[in-house]
Amino acid sequence: MPLWQVVVVLNLTFAVGLGLGYAGWGRRVGALEREVTADRVRIERLEREREACAAGARAGEQQWEGRGLVRAVYPRLLVITHEQIQGLLPARTTGFAVPATTRAPRVGDAVRFSLRGTAPDDAAIVGIEGW
Amino acid sequence: MRALLLGAVWIHLASSVLLVGALFLLLLAGPRTDATMRRWERSVVVRSRVLILIALVAGLVWLVARTAAFENRPGAALEPRAVWHAALDTWPGLVWLGRQGVLVVLAAFLWARVDVTARRDWVAARVQALGLGGLALGLASASSHAAASGPEAAWAIAVDASHVIATGLWVGGLPALALLLREASRDDDAGAHAAALGTARRFSHAALVAVLVLVASGSASAIAQVGSVAALAGTTHGHLLLAKLALLIPILALAAVNRVRLLPANAPGATRRLAAFVTLEALLALAVLAIAATMTLTTPARHAEPVWPFPFRLTLDGLDDVGRRRAVAASQIGLAAVVALLGAAILRRRRVPLLAGAATLAVVAAALGLPPLVLDAYPTTFRRPPVTYHATSIAAGMAVYAEHCASCHGADGAGVARTDLRSRSMARRHAGEIFWIVGRGIPERGMPAFESRLAESARWDVINFVRALGAATAATSLGPRIRTDDAWLAAPDFTIAVGPLAPGALRDYRGRRIVLLVVYTLPGSRERMTALARSYELLSVLGVEIVAVPARVTGHPIVELGAAPPVLFPVVTDGTAAIVATYGLFAPGPHAEVLIDRQGYVRAVWRNDASPADTSVVQAEVERLNAEKSPPPFPDDHVH
Repeated sequence: MPLWQVVVVLNLTFAVGLGLGYAGWGRRVGALEREVTADRVRIERLEREREACAAGARAGEQQWEGRGLVRAVYPRLLVITHEQIQGLLPARTTGFAVPATTRAPRVGDAVRFSLRGTAPDDAAIVGIEGW
Repeated sequence: MRALLLGAVWIHLASSVLLVGALFLLLLAGPRTDATMRRWERSVVVRSRVLILIALVAGLVWLVARTAAFENRPGAALEPRAVWHAALDTWPGLVWLGRQGVLVVLAAFLWARVDVTARRDWVAARVQALGLGGLALGLASASSHAAASGPEAAWAIAVDASHVIATGLWVGGLPALALLLREASRDDDAGAHAAALGTARRFSHAALVAVLVLVASGSASAIAQVGSVAALAGTTHGHLLLAKLALLIPILALAAVNRVRLLPANAPGATRRLAAFVTLEALLALAVLAIAATMTLTTPARHAEPVWPFPFRLTLDGLDDVGRRRAVAASQIGLAAVVALLGAAILRRRRVPLLAGAATLAVVAAALGLPPLVLDAYPTTFRRPPVTYHATSIAAGMAVYAEHCASCHGADGAGVARTDLRSRSMARRHAGEIFWIVGRGIPERGMPAFESRLAESARWDVINFVRALGAATAATSLGPRIRTDDAWLAAPDFTIAVGPLAPGALRDYRGRRIVLLVVYTLPGSRERMTALARSYELLSVLGVEIVAVPARVTGHPIVELGAAPPVLFPVVTDGTAAIVATYGLFAPGPHAEVLIDRQGYVRAVWRNDASPADTSVVQAEVERLNAEKSPPPFPDDHVH
């Protein structure tokens, strides 16, 4: 085989090998990242469900914990400026449903609160105390 | 250890560059059958093998020296595990592995005994060798300063790679060319002489292209890594770049003489001189490579603190009318000098009077135009303040100013001292210059030095306050109506601390929300706060965040505002004094409102009782802000 052909074949092999290697490696890394993210979400959900395994909890309910400042108080609603609630909401001001039996805090109170629900949409305050 | 690292970088870089140049020249010379050329070719191939060995060994030394630097202990250089870690777990180490791998493949290729008598085989062998050499050299850019230039790293690496490869093709080819010319001028072989000169001509054309690439890529890299005259003149990296450029001048002069005078002469004497000049060029180029190697181990000028070396600087900022007129006149005279200079180049017979006229005009232009542009300067002139333009710093500076400065400069900055701190001439001064003056004082004017009396941070606080004083004076032109597409007054940043929640900052809203800062006092502001609370939802939809700051804190601000109507916007509960003091400079009064656009500029101010009764006025200004089409860049976080 003449040298020039050897050179061409070697370079092609090198380029194809590099391309395939990079593509395979990139896909593998991507798949692993997706797997890790999915597992992390699953673990967080299981942890919230375990926390919700208390008296009165319905099947499949999760529990979230938050901290914030009460901004408005309505009969069945508390408006709270809160920090990020892991797995539920970023830091912002949100109105949360609250059972009539819960002792209502006053505007300006700093509070810790627990939310429970089967999905983020139906999360309601189940416990609230001073921060 | 640093000397070892520097030596290794230089030798590795130089041997890689010379290798690429030698392989390039072999390709340019083409397959030859005459004895002189074949002897030269064999000699170049042997030298290339030696260069590869040197590059590989220097690369190995670089790795161990870098391991010691990475681990911050000299002993790590001799620990296989540490070296292994540096090679496999760091980006420069991985790049090093790639480059050494390519060099090993190239070494095997050059050492292999292959038959290259057929032209195609010869071309394939030479192109392959040059490609591998260029790849090894260009890969160095992947771990250079260019690789650390953030989101534009890929472009910066490409520019840097083109720079080093062009260096290899031009500078690296010089020793092999000198060798060829010496061999050709030594023999009486006319064919070899002609072939050598032919190769030299081809090299000259290629070198011209390489120099153009070097100029373009070098300029782009200098803009990216140096970025300013201050960084060029005031940092080690900048000084090295200047030294590199200074060394390039004689190299380019020699190259021009070679190209224009010696190459066309076509005589053995001229060829010998050409060989000598090319050798001299190569030696100077090695010195340039030493500087380039040092630059790779120096903090890029853009990220270093410049120490301005001159007692003056030139600036066009803040010229008064007389200065502006003089500058315009000088520029016109300067233009006439350029025309005279061009005339001297074209009209040979009148060259002397035209040159004299051009020189006279240039002197007149400089004498007329430069004085208004000249300002006193100090080593810290271009120093970047370490303290941001923040309400906390401004309020702290206000207290320091009241204690140490107000007795001379007056509470408002326009006091008994000759300098009005709010004046345009003061605004022309860089923060670094004021820092120098505050620290060292002006003994001839009776201003004391505060270097030993005030901590550095306190001096920067005072400078932030002085800048805020000037800004407040300028802000008197701002009223309740925004001027469309006219944002110039940077809003000092401040901390938004609401109860025990994690604090935010004004700058968190940049690029996202317009901020209406409301400084209020109860009970006077009650009606207005009620109106704002009721309109919050609407303003929020328009992209506004209201941040309320009580001017006086007597109890819990949120509790005092009451529950009906509910106040849902952030009410700052901690650190209010600094915000009130700072924004009180711009908008004094028991109740004031400041509209800050998405970019972080103050656009409208409602002072004292000028606050609108209903929120439709604010809403109208917000809608005008939302309709703006050309937002300015974000203001700098530090004063200048």
